[in-house]
Amino acid sequence: MDGALRALNRFGLGARTGERRRINDPRGWLRAQLAGGAPTIATPPAGAPAALGEAIRAFRGPARQTPEQRQQLRRKLIEIASQESVAALTARVATDRPFVERLVAFWSNHLCVSTAAKVLVAPLAGSYEREVIRPHVLGRFEDMVLASAKHPAMLVYLDNFQSIGPNSRGAQRGRGRRGLNENYARELLELHTLGVNGGYTQQDVLELAKVLTGWTVGGLQNGGRRLRSAASTQAEIGFAFQDLLHEPGTRTVLGVKYSDAGAEQGEHVIRDLCRHASTATFVATKLVTQFVADAPPAGAVEKLARVFRTSGGDLRAVAAALVEIEDAWTDATRKFRTPQDWLVAVLRAVNAPGVNVMTLPVLRQLRHPLWAPQAPKGFGDTMQEWADPDSLLNRAELARTLARRMRDARLDGAALLDVIEVGAGDPVRTLLADTSIAAADRVALAIAGPAFQWR
Amino acid sequence: MKPPTARLRRPSRRTFVRNMCIGGLATFGAPLVSFAQVRQNGRFVFVLLRGGFDGLAAVVPHGDPAYQSLRGTLAYEDSDLVMLNDVFGLAPGLAPLKELWDQKELVVLHAMAIPYRTRSHFDGQAILETGIDRPAGSADGWLNRLLQVMPGERSGIAIASGLPRSMSGSFNVQTWSPTQLGVVDDDFLGRLSMLYRADKALSGRFEEAMQQQATVGEEPMAGQNARRGGIAPLMRAAARILRQENGPNIAEVEFSGWDTHANQGLAGGALDRLLGQLAEGLVTLRTEMGPAWSNTTVVVMTEFGRTARPNGTRGTDHGTAGAGFLLGPQVARSRVFADWPGLGDGALFEGRDVKPTLDTRAVLKAAIAGTFDLMPAQADRVFPSSEAVRGAYDLMA
Repeated sequence: MDGALRALNRFGLGARTGERRRINDPRGWLRAQLAGGAPTIATPPAGAPAALGEAIRAFRGPARQTPEQRQQLRRKLIEIASQESVAALTARVATDRPFVERLVAFWSNHLCVSTAAKVLVAPLAGSYEREVIRPHVLGRFEDMVLASAKHPAMLVYLDNFQSIGPNSRGAQRGRGRRGLNENYARELLELHTLGVNGGYTQQDVLELAKVLTGWTVGGLQNGGRRLRSAASTQAEIGFAFQDLLHEPGTRTVLGVKYSDAGAEQGEHVIRDLCRHASTATFVATKLVTQFVADAPPAGAVEKLARVFRTSGGDLRAVAAALVEIEDAWTDATRKFRTPQDWLVAVLRAVNAPGVNVMTLPVLRQLRHPLWAPQAPKGFGDTMQEWADPDSLLNRAELARTLARRMRDARLDGAALLDVIEVGAGDPVRTLLADTSIAAADRVALAIAGPAFQWR
Repeated sequence: MKPPTARLRRPSRRTFVRNMCIGGLATFGAPLVSFAQVRQNGRFVFVLLRGGFDGLAAVVPHGDPAYQSLRGTLAYEDSDLVMLNDVFGLAPGLAPLKELWDQKELVVLHAMAIPYRTRSHFDGQAILETGIDRPAGSADGWLNRLLQVMPGERSGIAIASGLPRSMSGSFNVQTWSPTQLGVVDDDFLGRLSMLYRADKALSGRFEEAMQQQATVGEEPMAGQNARRGGIAPLMRAAARILRQENGPNIAEVEFSGWDTHANQGLAGGALDRLLGQLAEGLVTLRTEMGPAWSNTTVVVMTEFGRTARPNGTRGTDHGTAGAGFLLGPQVARSRVFADWPGLGDGALFEGRDVKPTLDTRAVLKAAIAGTFDLMPAQADRVFPSSEAVRGAYDLMA
C-alpha cells in the first residue's frame, strides 16, 4: 500500500496525476487540511437570499396560474438547484482540501435533504449545504444538527414546517384542521442522532414532535389568509418560531423533562440528543464505514466514539482521530467508490477544472444524483450497495463516453497509472502501454478498470 | 398442491428431465425420491413499495362504520370508489385493476403487516426484505433464500437501483436497469474483462454483467421512458426479460415515493396519481408478459401501513398494518383477503394504526408455493423460524 495514494484516494477525493510524489507525510498532509477555517464556497447568483425568496414566493404565489406559468416557475426552482449543484460538485473536483470536502459530503449525506421528495427542497438544498454543513464541518456536531433543524430545506423536506401542536392556540383557532406531523422528530432520532437501535420509543417520537411544533419557515409566501403572523410576511426565507403553533407544556424525551420555553425547549432537547451516548456510537460507526471498511472494526468505532464523547462532539477532533485509525492504512481494507466518488475521482485524475450541468444527469444515470436520495437515510457507501454487475457495466459505458469526449485533451492512459494502486503483475500496466489500442480507449480502460473503482 | 406436471405445460427446448432413483439409499417404506432438474417455468414478481404505502387510502373500507369520521379530510365518498364488496373499494387511481378483479386474478390484502412492530423505514424494509421476524444484521434477502430453496434450473433478477436487500445473498442474481450511458463494443468489454479477472472481489460481478448483457440485450425503449416517472416503463422492461423462454424466474421491482406525510389528497391528488402509476404498471406487466402471464404471480407489498387518522398536514405518519396485492392467473379467485379488525374505538393498534391480523409471510408462502410447486416445508425454509405462521395456501389455485 502506498501511503500517499491512500491519503489521496481513501481520505481525499481522488489523486491528481503527479500529486502522490508531492506528499511525503500522508497523515500530516491530512492533518494540515483540518487546520484552518470552515470550507466556504461562493453563493451562485441564483442562490442569493433575495433571488431565492423571490423565486419560491412566485412559485407558491396566487393559485390562478396557467399550467405554462407554473411550469416556468417550477423550472426556475430547478435552475437554482442546478447552479448550486454545479458549484458544490466543482468544489469537490477543484479543492485543495479534499479530506475536508469529503467530510462535507459525508455530513451532508448524514443529515440529508432530498430534492427528489418535494420541488420546494430543490432550490434550498444548495443553501442547506452551504449554511448548515460547511460552517460546522470542523465545528461541533450539535451546532450542525441544530442548524439543520432550523434550515428551511430540512423543515420543508421532513414536514416539520407544517406541524402544529394539537393544543396550540393556532390549532384551536383553525378548529383542528391542521395538527401534528411526526416525520422530522422520528428521523432526527433514528437517522441523525441516536440511530434506530439507540433506545427511544414511539412515545419519545411523539413528545419530540410536540417539542418541535412552531419550528417553521418564514417568508414562504406573501401574506394570504392562512395563520397570519410576522413569520408569514418576513422578507427572507428562513427559520421562524411561531409560538402560536407551539404545543404548550412540559415534555418528556428519553426520560428527561423539558419545561416549555418556546423554541429553547427544542434547542435543549436537540443538544441533549446530540450528547447521548448512542449518538456517539451511531455517528462513529458511520464514519468508520465511510473511511475504513464496510464492516467497521469494533475497536475503531469504539475509539472514535470515545473521541466524539470526550470532545463534546468536536468534529475537527473526530476527523483527526479518523486519520489515526490503523485499519485505514492497511491492504486489508478497501472501500468501493460510490458513483459520485468515482466521477469526481475521474475528473480530478484528468485535472478537470470542475463540472458543468451535463454532469448532473450523468449522476442520475449512475443512480447517485446529488442531494436526491430516495429516503431520508441518505445514500449508502458500501460495496454491497454499489458494486452490482449492472452498475459496473454502467461505469464501463460511461467511461467510454467520457474518454471520447475528452479526446481533445490528449490524455495519456499510462499516466493514469499514477493515481491508482496496481500490483506488479496487474494486466492494466500492459494494456495502458499498448499503443495499438486507441488512446481514448486506454483512458477509458484506466477509469473503468477495477483498480479505479477502489479508494 | 398441484402435481409438479402442471408446471411443465410448456417445456422449453433446453429443458431436460433427469429422474434419479436413489434405491440403494432409500430406507424401507420410503417413497422413491426423484430429482427433476428442470427449468422452472414459473415467474414471480415482487413489487416493493418503499416508503410505507397507505393501505387505507388505496383499499378503502367504506363499509366500516367508523371510516368517515376517522379519516376525516382524507375520507372518500362512495361514489369515487371502485367497489369490490360491501366493505371495501379501490381508490379511483387503482381503477385499472378492476379488469384483473373481473378476470378472477386479483387478491386484495388488508390489515396485513410484517411480523415485527416498527415504524422505522429502515427496520421495516429490513424485515420485509429479509423475511425474518426481527432485525437481523447480515441475513440474506428472502427472494435470494427462495432461489436457494427452490428446485430446478432457476435464476433471479432485480429491476432496481443496485442490488436490493431482498435479492442479496449467496445465490447469484442479476440486476438490470435502463441506461442511457452509451454503448460499448465487444473489444472494449473483452479487454475490460481481462482487467476484472485480476480482481478477486469484482471479477464474478463483472462476468455476470457480461452474461447479462448477452441475455437481456439492449432495451432502448425502456431507457427512454424510464425517466418519465412511474413504474410502467420498468414493468415493460421486466416483462421483456421475464417472458423469455429461459428468462429469470424471480424479479424484484421497486417503486418509491409512498412516504406521504403531507397533502396526500383524494381523487386525482398526489397519492391517487401514484396509485394510478402503480395500477398502470401492473396492467402493463400483465399485457407485456403475453402467454407467459399464465405462469406469473405478482405480489405488491410495503414496509408498513400508515396512521389511520390523517395527521396535522393532511397526510399520514408511519403506522402498522396496511394493504397489498396478490395477482396473477394462478390465484384461486378474486377476493379481499382480510380479517378486518375494524376502525372503531379500541380496534386500532396502539390507538392509531390499523391492527395487524395478517402476516406478510402467510401470503408470500402461498404465492411462492403456488407459483413454483413448493411443499409447505420448503416455503417455511424461505422464512426462517416461521413454522407457526401457516401459509394461506387456499389463496392460490
